[in-house]
Amino acid sequence: MKEERIIRGVMASAGVAIGRAIRTFDPLMISYNFHIPQSETSKEVARFRASVEKSRRQLERMQAELRQSRIPESSFLVDAHLLILQDKLFVDRIVETIQERAVNAEWAIRQVSEELYEAYDRLQDDYLRERRGDLEDIVRRMLHNLRSKSSSTLPSLPYDAVLVGKTISPSTLFELRANRVSGIVTESGSPLSHTAIVARSLNLPAVMGVQDLSGISPGDLVIVNGTRGMVICNPDPSTVREYRQRMKQAPSTHRRRDAHIPAVTQDGIRISLGTNINFSEEARSAVETGTEFIGLYRTEFDFFKDGCKPTEEDLMAQYSRVLRAVRPAPVTFRTIDVGPDWNTRDGTGSSLSSRGLRFSLENQDVFKLQLRALFRSSRHGRMRILLPFVSTIADLDVALEIIAGVKRDLSRHKNSFDKEVPVGVMIETPAAAHTCDLMASRVDFFCLGTNDLIQYYLVIDRSDQSATHLYNPFHPAILRCLHQVYTLLQYSGRPVTVCGEMAADPAAAAVLLGLGFTSLSVSLAAYPRMKEAIGSLSVGRLRELAGEIMKMESPKDVEDRVRATIA
Amino acid sequence: MIEREVIVGHRLGLHARAAARVVQLSSQYQSAISLTRDDRGNRIEADARSILSILLLAAAHGSALLVRADGTDEGAAVECLCEYIKG
Repeated sequence: MKEERIIRGVMASAGVAIGRAIRTFDPLMISYNFHIPQSETSKEVARFRASVEKSRRQLERMQAELRQSRIPESSFLVDAHLLILQDKLFVDRIVETIQERAVNAEWAIRQVSEELYEAYDRLQDDYLRERRGDLEDIVRRMLHNLRSKSSSTLPSLPYDAVLVGKTISPSTLFELRANRVSGIVTESGSPLSHTAIVARSLNLPAVMGVQDLSGISPGDLVIVNGTRGMVICNPDPSTVREYRQRMKQAPSTHRRRDAHIPAVTQDGIRISLGTNINFSEEARSAVETGTEFIGLYRTEFDFFKDGCKPTEEDLMAQYSRVLRAVRPAPVTFRTIDVGPDWNTRDGTGSSLSSRGLRFSLENQDVFKLQLRALFRSSRHGRMRILLPFVSTIADLDVALEIIAGVKRDLSRHKNSFDKEVPVGVMIETPAAAHTCDLMASRVDFFCLGTNDLIQYYLVIDRSDQSATHLYNPFHPAILRCLHQVYTLLQYSGRPVTVCGEMAADPAAAAVLLGLGFTSLSVSLAAYPRMKEAIGSLSVGRLRELAGEIMKMESPKDVEDRVRATIA
Repeated sequence: MIEREVIVGHRLGLHARAAARVVQLSSQYQSAISLTRDDRGNRIEADARSILSILLLAAAHGSALLVRADGTDEGAAVECLCEYIKG
């Protein structure tokens, strides 16, 4: 019996999947190279051309499907592949190699592609170097088409499968859609990779950048927790039960019959429940889940998606798409928050001291570019702009002045935009928590980011895995802080939405409701669960509970008391 | 033969989407079309109909490219490509 083991990677596509591992292998590794008689080369060239033709037909079919699907944006990936198939530098050189060196097509493909890979690897530009992946994808497809007669790469599966491999190409994901592939784990790749983008649009949970995959054998049971960037190999039966239970509560990919009934507590208090998203593609899934609004769109993932600074037009297209998908409900766009664990890939590394708004103030060209794109797309729906990681009033004033400047500039150039877009502050530093009343006269709304707030209040290093047990939303200091924020803002008339993980745990959310908060925003995966949980809570009882736990000293006692009350 | 220098105006340089567009535009003409970039004395030339060679040019935003066309419609080809590349 193998032991349960947790390996960590990065979140690439949210959600949870349970399945048997299928190890993908790289067909490049098992192509045979041999010389052929000179008289046979024209036959070999014909065989090669047939595989090109077959690849072209497959790609065109895929492209047509994509254009009709709900993810037409992804079809440009296929365009690039089709152009490679027509590329002389590639195809003609392979034909020449077959003819001149009298080698089989597989060998010629490898030889030519290796030379091209080397050329790509020499490039200075990170983004362009990554495009080597497109070429690899095409090479894989051609080698496959040379070898097999059937076009299916994977037989239909008798069980739910999790694909585990060094890399998995975006086109493989498209093709396996119909199969019972439920999740993905890869060694390479990041949330920015094409595969991650496709996984998200197909709602397939994915964890990437996993260091040690060698321990996973074909057929092993694995749980992919895409929301946490975590893979559980050979989980204990109790872990599987727990996850299955959780998944049953969260059938997030399907439109629910009760999707549009608002969240109301047992004692009739209306709670607004929104969704947090990291990528523009998630907006549509959020709407289908019945979300009332997008409480937090973390724009930095899409912003740096191409590995460098995007154009204003690209951003506008993206932002307009999100607004249109969600309207008439509002979307809160949080301006880019570059954290210390974040590599922006264009040389602007970041330390804790220059996070969030501070980064934007130090890189005003980036900040203004994003603001212009935001305002210029604002007429496509209901937009709110949220400033992250604010810690001083002075910084806030500078940011508001920049926003006013961008608006003046747009007006002067006769750009049409919504002049009333609300601007808000994310309370996620102790400094903001204690001065939010002073900020209230300057802004229109607040969001409360409990993840960072708890981290900085309790002094926890997020990159240190051994410190995760220290993170505790039931700590008396956190309760007092939340109570203070609520009290300070109560008389300001400024609405506040709680956006952190705290809002996604029924017990912690119960504390929030008890303290008076009435607007929560949670991840897509947690949405159905939280909606149900809210229905079973009674705010009246939670108010009493809040009074009691405020006097308690130990986080454990608080948590036990809360769980006993809501059970 | 006609040639003209142009500065890459696309903020991302000639990346995947822009490179694909260059190939599509070049394919509308009969003339042979090339793009040349001078990398500190080292001249790199790309066939404007080959997406792989255009990507390998690594032409970033602001870099200078020499667009050269040779054939019956060389004038129109150079005009069209320069117009697109300068953004």
